[in-house]
Amino acid sequence: MKLEGTNTLPASVDTVWKTINDPDALRSCTPGLKELKATGPDTYQATLQIGIAAVKGTYAGTLSITDKRAPTHYKITLEGTGGAGFMKGEGSVDLEAQGNGTLLKWTGDLQVGGLIAGVGQRMLGGVGKMLIGQFFKCLEERLGGSA
Amino acid sequence: MSTRYTGARITRNEDPALLCGRGLFVDDIHLPRLAHAAVLRSPHAHARIVRIDPRRARAAPAVLAVLTHADLGALGGPLPRLIPHPALVHHKTQQALASTTVRYVGEAVALIVAESRYAAEDALDLVDVEYAPLPAAVRLEDAVAPSAPLVHEDAGTNVCARYTQRVGDVERAFAGAPRRFRDRLVMDRGTASPLEARGIVAAWDPRARLLEIWDSTQAPIPIRNGLAAMFGLPQTNVRVVAPDVGGGFGPKVMMFYPEEILVPLAAQRLGRPVKWIEDRREHFVATNQEREQIHDAEIALDETGRILGVRTVFLYDAGAYCPYGLIVPIVAGTTLPGPYRVPNYHCEFTAVFTNKTPVSPYRGAGRPHGVFVMERLLDRAAHDLGIDRAEIRRRNLIQPDEFPYDVGLIYQDNAPVQYDSGDYPRCLGRAAEMIGYADWRAQQETYRAAGRYLGLGVACYVEGTGIGPYEGCRVTVEPSGKVFAATGVGTQGQGHMTAFAQIVADHLGVTPRDVTVRTGDTAAFGWGTGTFASRAAVVAGTAVSLAAEAVREKARIVAATLLEARPDEIELADGKVFVRGVPSRALPLGEVAAAANPLRFAMPREWESPGLEATRYFAPPRGTFSNGVHACIVEIDPETGALSLHRYVIVHDCGRVLNPLIVEGQIHGGVAQGLGGAFWEKLVYDAQGQPLTTTFMDYLLPTAADLPSFEVGHEETPTPLNPLGVKGAGEAGVIPVGAAIAQAVEDALRPFRVHITEMPLSPSRVWELVAGARRSA
Amino acid sequence: MKPAPFEYHCPRTVDEGTALLAEYGDDAKVLAGGQSLVPLMNMRLARPANLIDINRIESLAYIRDDGRTLRIGALTRQRATERAPQVSERCPLLRDALRLVGHAQIRNRGTIGGSIAHADPAAELTAILVALDGEVTARGPKGTRVIAARDLFVSYLTTSLDPRELLTEVCFPALPAGAGWSWMEIARRHGDFALAGVGVVLAARGGTIATARIGLTGVGPTPVRPAEAERLLAGRSPSEDLWKGAAEAVRAAVTPDGDIHASAEYRTHVAGVLTQRALREAWERVREAA
Repeated sequence: MKLEGTNTLPASVDTVWKTINDPDALRSCTPGLKELKATGPDTYQATLQIGIAAVKGTYAGTLSITDKRAPTHYKITLEGTGGAGFMKGEGSVDLEAQGNGTLLKWTGDLQVGGLIAGVGQRMLGGVGKMLIGQFFKCLEERLGGSA
Repeated sequence: MSTRYTGARITRNEDPALLCGRGLFVDDIHLPRLAHAAVLRSPHAHARIVRIDPRRARAAPAVLAVLTHADLGALGGPLPRLIPHPALVHHKTQQALASTTVRYVGEAVALIVAESRYAAEDALDLVDVEYAPLPAAVRLEDAVAPSAPLVHEDAGTNVCARYTQRVGDVERAFAGAPRRFRDRLVMDRGTASPLEARGIVAAWDPRARLLEIWDSTQAPIPIRNGLAAMFGLPQTNVRVVAPDVGGGFGPKVMMFYPEEILVPLAAQRLGRPVKWIEDRREHFVATNQEREQIHDAEIALDETGRILGVRTVFLYDAGAYCPYGLIVPIVAGTTLPGPYRVPNYHCEFTAVFTNKTPVSPYRGAGRPHGVFVMERLLDRAAHDLGIDRAEIRRRNLIQPDEFPYDVGLIYQDNAPVQYDSGDYPRCLGRAAEMIGYADWRAQQETYRAAGRYLGLGVACYVEGTGIGPYEGCRVTVEPSGKVFAATGVGTQGQGHMTAFAQIVADHLGVTPRDVTVRTGDTAAFGWGTGTFASRAAVVAGTAVSLAAEAVREKARIVAATLLEARPDEIELADGKVFVRGVPSRALPLGEVAAAANPLRFAMPREWESPGLEATRYFAPPRGTFSNGVHACIVEIDPETGALSLHRYVIVHDCGRVLNPLIVEGQIHGGVAQGLGGAFWEKLVYDAQGQPLTTTFMDYLLPTAADLPSFEVGHEETPTPLNPLGVKGAGEAGVIPVGAAIAQAVEDALRPFRVHITEMPLSPSRVWELVAGARRSA
Repeated sequence: MKPAPFEYHCPRTVDEGTALLAEYGDDAKVLAGGQSLVPLMNMRLARPANLIDINRIESLAYIRDDGRTLRIGALTRQRATERAPQVSERCPLLRDALRLVGHAQIRNRGTIGGSIAHADPAAELTAILVALDGEVTARGPKGTRVIAARDLFVSYLTTSLDPRELLTEVCFPALPAGAGWSWMEIARRHGDFALAGVGVVLAARGGTIATARIGLTGVGPTPVRPAEAERLLAGRSPSEDLWKGAAEAVRAAVTPDGDIHASAEYRTHVAGVLTQRALREAWERVREAA
């Protein structure tokens, strides 16, 4: 599914850029991310425990950042496989200065396969959007004190 | 032969046990030391298998075996090709377990056998498989494009077959035609959803070298023969039993599904019986599907609405493999002309591989598509020419005195499509009368004035049934007087235990309750092809009749010896055998059977063989053609797109009706499936080939709460092609439903000028069409 | 479809139940009717290590009517609630909506508390609880607390209940005397999840609408209470134009997801259509009651 959105973050472009490349920030803000271990520059081994309410799946996979054009653009890919299926989220992020803050525009393609896709189509889109929303809310809070 | 029971509306022999939970389905088979299997299935629509490591799974508690392709040895090759066809250039079948590539979500990758199904499912997580996903060809129109990802790389194309059938000169007919109408018609994927999913139990006796299989299949004898060949066993050392089967509808005819190889192999390797029961989620990916076709169709007519020619070019979605060949698109193309005179016809299809579950016939097997296309074209013509839609049909119907009528095409059995009998105008007239066609317009106006949108739809079809090659039956009378009939077809709810018993009862002068019918057990009867294509009543039924007739003749010969009379003086009635006119000198039928099997002394030469038993076969040279007309009244709420089904009328002609109760049951079930395909049932795959509808929450089967009562009218034009005069009725109910509903919905929404060219619909889609029509108005 | 291994617990009292939840918390699920949980477990989408079966806690099944509120024990079966005379009398909106929850067989097992705690985005009961400003009582390690409906539903299948809390009671305020009500929904089949559903209560005062309450389901992650539409109706005289205006306000208040069964545009449109029809029916009932 194709998703997109914009968020305004209370920090300069440089600060936002640093944060979205910081593995600590990624680890604490990515919903369900339990483990993030660097295996190379901009590549990490990831373990995700993600879901909604009782429906939870553990996914083992990778998080990678590519197509870096500091400090305004990159692509971030998070993919994993697990018992409940597999998932792959690819996002393209663009930063733009806006007053004292930053306008963050993102477009993404979220693919979910396996059991979850076959049973949860009713809510997958909405839940996907919600989890991505959680990510940006967390970023916002993180940046709130460092404008 | 008396006809006391043939044609009678009697309740079914099989029902008391089934209704009281005393049926025997595959999951009811319990054997000592039974082990349980689960299948690891591909989560990707298309991927390379980079690495597969079963060691963790093998080490898990309660796991007895894990099979991957590497363990299959000689059984690892492509599974057999059923029904080859010269046009089928790439006749691809899958392997019992995928080796290097998976081509649809659900393809079998490993088999786990454990002490319980729970433990087997636990171990599925422990098989380490690394996949390299590949681009998938999903949408039918995308898959046929030259740039599409290849489902089978070595084929170099996704087109597995192209085939054209022609009658007359369609180019000339269209060139000279005063009126031409064209439409693009789409029918979407569906699945048969039998109440019982698939399942198989296999037991191997190494001392007797006997392989015993219980399989929820529609065709146990080909399975037996195929397994014997694959496992290097004599056919008599393999027994396949299709016990009670909770619905087949087509997808349970295969040779083979992977599990039909894997489970017997596991039983042999382990030395323990193994059971695999398909759960519903698996069924949605691992059992064959059908119904996806896109037609670009045209009709040419004169100003009076007479058909001059019909042309259709269509795409057929074969899925990832095509074991069953081209039956579905061939049947679609040969069903399309229907009950009408179509002097010029061109039907061309392209069969396309996609990375989705493989396709094989599902009730109707392409007939619904043919009918949908033809009826929609006629409706379009009727509307634009200003001719009443029943009238335009009447003008084109083949008349009762035109039989046998050669359509000019070759059917799925490789024999000509030759309609043998029927009265098409009569069926149309009766359906019109039953639905109240004559004053429909006035009724409709009354509803519209009250702000309600109701519509009427009527659709006609002709159905090819009763094809060969053959079926057989052995009838035996035991000394108890009970009669046994064994035949090779399987039973999945068609009432064979009753209909065949009725035929035997009439020949032998007993009651149907005295006759036990045995189907689907290769040890009881080992020759036959299976239950599919609406053929069992015709082909097996006729064999039953021939065998019973032969037993009757034998009974007369034996009784003649015993009663010192001539055979032609002997009668059979009420379980007794007697000299005509002298009922006091009667012998119970059982006694005659006992006497026919003497323990000592010489046997009279005229008896020829012991016992009251005979085996006969029937091999029809071609199929026989049933027909029917459906009419329905629906109501649509244009604000919400909600559909109400007010009335549904079925007039059908399947020749001589053996048991109206059973035929009505068949029709009701078929119509329910047809209505499901018209408004509820749709298998959806996403752009990556992920199936999104793998539960009944999303694949919607209509329930009794959603459907109206059905009104059935029987017509009978007996066929000359078999002694019983019967034609098939198994698939009839489903065939014209989409067409009838499309016409009814269009009729209901006529003020909005909505044009229906797709199945299934939904409230959301209907509302979209109404809103769209409003905007462009 | 066999579940992953789990430990089974069967408390007999609420205290036993909350003690088990306190101990296993995150890794436990409460089993009430099981109509949602058991399929999830059988499909292995949910793999709680501990299953706490509360079906033996008889003290949790009751319907108490104090004249102004219906207090329903969490374990009360939906079918029993649907047929209870107090429900018919005090809150017929609840009765009418319950008739559309699944099928009778499902309602024989499904519970009121379970439905609320499960918080399916297309559930009927959650929308009614929100529309009526109901509340729930929950007991956990920190004691007992009451949660208002507006604070209860957080997102898809998610409430503000702590995993260690047991929902014990659901309270539906009774409809005001002389009020009209209506529940309308569109589903693809009898008993299916609603593509969109609306519950409406109109309290009347001498020929005009005193207050209006509207609750919608199937149009977002949680039930929607369209404040603007309610404001538009309050104090006004009923008319077809008024219903139409409220329907438009409802459309502006919802942002449903589309799925394979119905597009987002369809759900938005139908939410308005159902609102219009429900308001019309509710006012008819006001007139009948008068």
